[in-house]
Amino acid sequence: MSKTVTVDRDKCYMSGECYYNHPELFRMDEDGYPVVLVGKIEDAALEQHAREAAEVCPAAAIRLS
Amino acid sequence: MAEALPDLGPNLDPRVFDSEAFQRDPFPVYKQLRDHHPVFHDRFHNRWILSRYWDVDAAFQDNGSFDRAMYKPDGPYDFGSRHVFGPNILEYGNSDEHRRLRNIVAGQFVGQKLNDFLPMIDRISQEVIERFIDDGEVEIVSQFSSQVPIRVISNMLGLPREDEDTFVGWYQDLIAGLGFGGEYLARGLKARNDMWDYIDPMIAERRTNPGEDLLSRICTAELAGGRMSVEEVKGFVALLLAAGGDTTDKAIANMWYHMMYTRPDQFADVRDEPALWENVFTEMMRYDPVVHAQFRYTTREVAMHGEVIPERAGVILYLGAGNRDERAFKDPDVFDIHRDDLHMGRENRSGRYKDGKNGHLGFGIGQHFCMGYAMARQESAIACTMLARGLKNVRPKFAEHDGIIAPSIDSGGFRAPRELWLEFDR
Repeated sequence: MSKTVTVDRDKCYMSGECYYNHPELFRMDEDGYPVVLVGKIEDAALEQHAREAAEVCPAAAIRLS
Repeated sequence: MAEALPDLGPNLDPRVFDSEAFQRDPFPVYKQLRDHHPVFHDRFHNRWILSRYWDVDAAFQDNGSFDRAMYKPDGPYDFGSRHVFGPNILEYGNSDEHRRLRNIVAGQFVGQKLNDFLPMIDRISQEVIERFIDDGEVEIVSQFSSQVPIRVISNMLGLPREDEDTFVGWYQDLIAGLGFGGEYLARGLKARNDMWDYIDPMIAERRTNPGEDLLSRICTAELAGGRMSVEEVKGFVALLLAAGGDTTDKAIANMWYHMMYTRPDQFADVRDEPALWENVFTEMMRYDPVVHAQFRYTTREVAMHGEVIPERAGVILYLGAGNRDERAFKDPDVFDIHRDDLHMGRENRSGRYKDGKNGHLGFGIGQHFCMGYAMARQESAIACTMLARGLKNVRPKFAEHDGIIAPSIDSGGFRAPRELWLEFDR
């Protein structure tokens, strides 16, 4: 089953942890918010990265569903 | 506070970077760089220099063009053998391996882990203060600021508390050796050897019988190529001592220097409201941070301000200069803990803030952003609060002070006062 990563921009305070730890999944937009680069995650390794990003996010702004 | 800096004009002799005048007061030269040479090709030292706030920010953000380690297109990074301590994770540049190594420890200095350590920082500060509380005076560099952070790290590493004094002695000798060289160097190298002799059996022990402490965590971390070697573990420990101990040590001394000599009027505010120590920390990290220079190597040609920096060139990012950029901060040469154009709260690795204000560059930005940022801020604020609370009617012992200096800004030397004497009522 494919998964989707979403970022809650209200919670996000631009710590930057997601895009510096996982440039394969996120990049920084002009204001400092993350942009999710992969729409549907099919790959198991990538899914693991997404889970890590969600765990590490200090704002708890990343969801994997 | 500060007077307006002199305009030195466009003529810049790169030998100035080796002068003691520059180590004492680099700010006029920084301004000259920003105003006349935003991309300065220093042919004398064979390197390039960036100094404006947004240029330093852009270089930190651009991992594709600027690497922390010398870029090798066809293989792993070259560690060399030039180190006093052995290799450390920074030399893994922008690689995946660096990310993995960083994440072994990064989580230990933030969030709940950090909160769990706060009572210990409190207790250690208090213990150190009790050693001189009856003296009526204290030289805080040797007796306080160089004592607290190293005891905290020693605690985190899980070293026995009864060895703390010995450990502090080694640390002080080591830092003096690295900073001042000369006669201090031999003692520093001896301290390093003694420290390694002490820690070798501990590494062996914790590899086979790990506990919850940071040293065990480093010893047993699984990386792509297996566990770290003993030499790598030592390199990591040394990095924690230097980057986690020495910088916070100097941050605390700098904060007190500014409150005693730069803005004694604002010290009154801080005494009334200790939460403002965090503002002192932030403004110190902008106005004259512990670290002024970071280094990068270009991985491709970079065009900026009409100049072209070639591939594989060494580039200095003067974050100490970017922090004084009029393009980013009003009256940048004024130290003001109530500044409304600086993000005063906790730093972000991205250098971007929801309040729309600019942050200081003192921790770097991006891939190699200081992983101890939250700890450094919290620890400095706690230690300063405890000291201010413990010392009655504290004031400078001497009316004059010769200021903050670095052994060598360009080789990453940490800036701090050499001594700072305080007086207080018994």
